[in-house]
Amino acid sequence: MEQYIGTTERWLLTPVVLMFLALIIYFLLRKIGWKVRAATGFALISPWLIGFIIFTAFPLIYSLYLSFTNYSLFGTPKWIGLKNYIYIFTSDYEFWPSVRLTLLYAVFTVPIGVIGSLLIAMLLNNRIKGIGVFRTIYYLPAVMPDVAVALIWRWLFNSQSGLINYALSPFLKLFHIGKIDWFGDPKYVLWAFIIMSVWGIFGTNTVVFLAGLQGVPRSLYEVADLDGASPWIKFWNITIPQISPVILLQVVMGIISALQIFTVAMFVRPTTGAGIFMNQLIYNRGFTQLHMGQASAIAWVLFLIILAFTLLVFKSTPAWVHYEGEIKR
Amino acid sequence: MKKRISILISTIMILSILVSGCSSSSNKQNTSSKNTTNTNKKVTIKLSTWAGADESKQLQSIIDKLNANSKDYVIEQNSNPADYDTRITTQLSAGDGGPDLFWVSAQRATQLAAQGALLDITDYLSKSSNKAANVSDYYENALAPFKYQNKIYGLPWAENPVVLYINKDMFDKAKIPYPDGTWNWDKFLSVAQQLTVDANGKHPGEAGFDKNNIKQWGFTLNGWPPVQMFVWQNNGEVITPDFKSSPIDTPEAKKAFEFYSELINSPAVPSQQTIKDQGFDTMFKNQEVAMFMGGAADSLETQVKFNCGVYEVPSGPTGKKVTFGDLYGMAINAKTKNPDAVFKAFIDLTNAIQEWKVVPPLKSEVNVDALKKLHSDRSTETLDTIVKSMSYAEGFRYFVNYPDWDNIFWNQLMDPIINNKANPDTLIPKVKPQLDNVLKQYSSK
Repeated sequence: MEQYIGTTERWLLTPVVLMFLALIIYFLLRKIGWKVRAATGFALISPWLIGFIIFTAFPLIYSLYLSFTNYSLFGTPKWIGLKNYIYIFTSDYEFWPSVRLTLLYAVFTVPIGVIGSLLIAMLLNNRIKGIGVFRTIYYLPAVMPDVAVALIWRWLFNSQSGLINYALSPFLKLFHIGKIDWFGDPKYVLWAFIIMSVWGIFGTNTVVFLAGLQGVPRSLYEVADLDGASPWIKFWNITIPQISPVILLQVVMGIISALQIFTVAMFVRPTTGAGIFMNQLIYNRGFTQLHMGQASAIAWVLFLIILAFTLLVFKSTPAWVHYEGEIKR
Repeated sequence: MKKRISILISTIMILSILVSGCSSSSNKQNTSSKNTTNTNKKVTIKLSTWAGADESKQLQSIIDKLNANSKDYVIEQNSNPADYDTRITTQLSAGDGGPDLFWVSAQRATQLAAQGALLDITDYLSKSSNKAANVSDYYENALAPFKYQNKIYGLPWAENPVVLYINKDMFDKAKIPYPDGTWNWDKFLSVAQQLTVDANGKHPGEAGFDKNNIKQWGFTLNGWPPVQMFVWQNNGEVITPDFKSSPIDTPEAKKAFEFYSELINSPAVPSQQTIKDQGFDTMFKNQEVAMFMGGAADSLETQVKFNCGVYEVPSGPTGKKVTFGDLYGMAINAKTKNPDAVFKAFIDLTNAIQEWKVVPPLKSEVNVDALKKLHSDRSTETLDTIVKSMSYAEGFRYFVNYPDWDNIFWNQLMDPIINNKANPDTLIPKVKPQLDNVLKQYSSK
C-alpha cells in the first residue's frame, strides 16, 4: 500500500502544479500587456507546451548535439565534431546496406499501401446491406497490437508448415524452387516484409480514405451520369482529383511510417544478411553497443531522408493535388 | 463573482503548496532513515533480475529467507526478462533511479564496469567472511569478466558449461556405444551420420539415401554451440589474450570454422529452416535429433520422456578438451545510497543463488559429492560430467567494445556461414581486418 501513496500523491500534485503554472503564465502575460483572450489561450495550452518542450523539443535538439559527440550513456558526452558522420558514411559496414534496405522497403510499400487502401475504401463506400459490419471488420487491424500481428506473420511465413509457402507451392514447383526460407535467406527478407506491409492497407488508412470518399459531392457524379460518363472516367476525373488532398496525406504518412519500420522487424529478427532497417541499427548502436553519438547521427540522417522525401512530395503537389476553391494558374 | 474566483484560486494555491511541502518533507524522512543503517528500520534494496515467472518464484522464496534472517536489509525483487539488458543500462545511466542490485551477464558486466556504472567491491570482499566472498575460490575464467583494471565489480553466481545430451534409446537402436570421453571431431561426425536416418531407414553415404526425406538427425546446431568452442578445441583463438588481434586466419582457427560449416551443411544436421520451424531444442525433446549440445543448467535429461544421458562434448583433433561456459552474475549500482547494506544483501544473495543454480563457479563446490547434496534430481554420472566439463570450461574474452566485435563476427562471418552456406575460407580474410580494427581502437584507448 505504502508504495502507491507516493504515486497517488504525484498523480494528484501534477495537475495542481500545472494549473498553478498556467495561472502564473496568465498573470505574467497580462502584466506585459497581452489581451485577455491571448493570455487565456496561452495559459490554457501551457501544460501541453511544457510537455512538448520537455519530452519532445529538448530530446530532439539534444540528440542533434549528441550526434557530434562520443557518448556511451555513461559519463559526459565528448565533442568530436563531424567524426560520427564521417564514420557512418565512410567506414561503417552496416550503414549503407541498412539505408538501401529501408529505402527499397519504402519504395515498394508506399504505393502498395496507398493504392490498396484506396481500393478497399472504394469497396466499403458502396451502399450495400451490412456495410457497417464490413467497415468494422476492415478497421480491426488498427486495434491489433503490432507484436501479436508479427507473431501471426511468423507462423504464416513458416517455411515448412506456413500458409504462404503452401499457397505459393504450385508456382514454386513450376519454377523448381524449394520451400522459401523467408526470414533466413537474405534474398527473400525484403519481400517478406513487403508482403507483411499489405496488412497496413487495412485499418486507419482505409478509414481515412473512406472519409475522403464520403466527402466527394454526389452532384458531381450525377452531372457525369447525365453526360453518360463511364465508371473509369468518373473515377479518374472526379474521385481522384476530389480526394487528392487525402492521397497526399496518405503518401506523406506512408513514407514516414515505412522509413521508420521497427517493431515488426525487431520481433521477427530475420537474418542480417540483407542488412537491417535503419531504426533497428539506431537501436543496436545506442543500446547494445553503447555508441549513442553514432546512433544519434544515424537518426538524424534518417530524419533528413524522411524530410527530403516529404519535401519532394510537397513540391510535386501543384501538379496533382486539388484543393477546394483553388484557382488553377 | 470575480472575488469568489480569486478566493477559490488562492485556496487551491495554498493547498498545493501544503501538499507539495508535505510530500517533500516525507521523502526527506525516508532517505535519512535509509542512510543510517544502525536504526532498527531495515534498508529496502531494489533487486532487478531477468528471471521468468517460475524462476522468480523460486528466487522469491530464497529472498524471503534472507530478509527474515537479516537485521539490515529487505530485498525487493523486480523480475522481468523482456529486453533486460537495455532496461538495466538505461536505468543505470539515468539519474539516481535504477536498482541497487541487479543480475548481469558477463558481457554487460565488462562493459558497465568500464563505464563506471558498477560499484567497486574489492575492499568489501576482502573484509567479508561470507563463503561467496572468497575470491580465490572462484574459477579464474569465471571471475575475469567481472574484473576491470584489477578491481572486482561483481561476482558470478553460476557458470553454465556446454555438455552433450544424447538420446540413449536412439544409440541403443543403432547399436552405437555411448560416448566414452575419447571422442574427437571425426568420431563425433561419423556417429552423427550413423544416427541420421531417412524414411527408408538409410544413412548418409549409403546408396539410395534420400536427403530430402530425413526422419531423424544425428546432431543440430544453429550458431549455438558457439564456434569459439571448436576454435579453442583446435588450439586456436578468436581474440588473443592481450586483446590485440583476432587470429581467425590461423590454420587452427580456419580448420575449426571449416568443421563448423561442414556440420551446418551435413545431412546429419537439419537445415536452418527446419530448425527454425520446428524449434532448436524442441527437436531433441521430440526425438527428431539424437545429440544436442546444451548448457549443463538446462537439465534436459530431467525433462524428456526418453532415456537421456549427459556426456562431455567431443575434443579437438589433437585431443584437446575445451567447452564453452556462459556466466551469469550480479553487481551493485555505483550510485546506490547504502553501499554497506547493499553489499551485505549482495553477498548473502550471491551465496544463496550459488547453492540454488547449476553450476556454482566455485572450485570448492564443484565436486560430485557437494553438487549431489544440492541437486539430488541429477544422477551421479551427470554430475561427474558437469564437474569434468567445469575443469576445462572457457568463456569469451569480453572487453569494453566487445559488442562491436561481436556484431562484426556474427553478422559478417557466422550469419553467412550458418544461413547462407558461405565458405569460411573466403570470408575470413575479409572479416579479420574489421575485427582487428575494433581491437586496435580498444587497445589504443
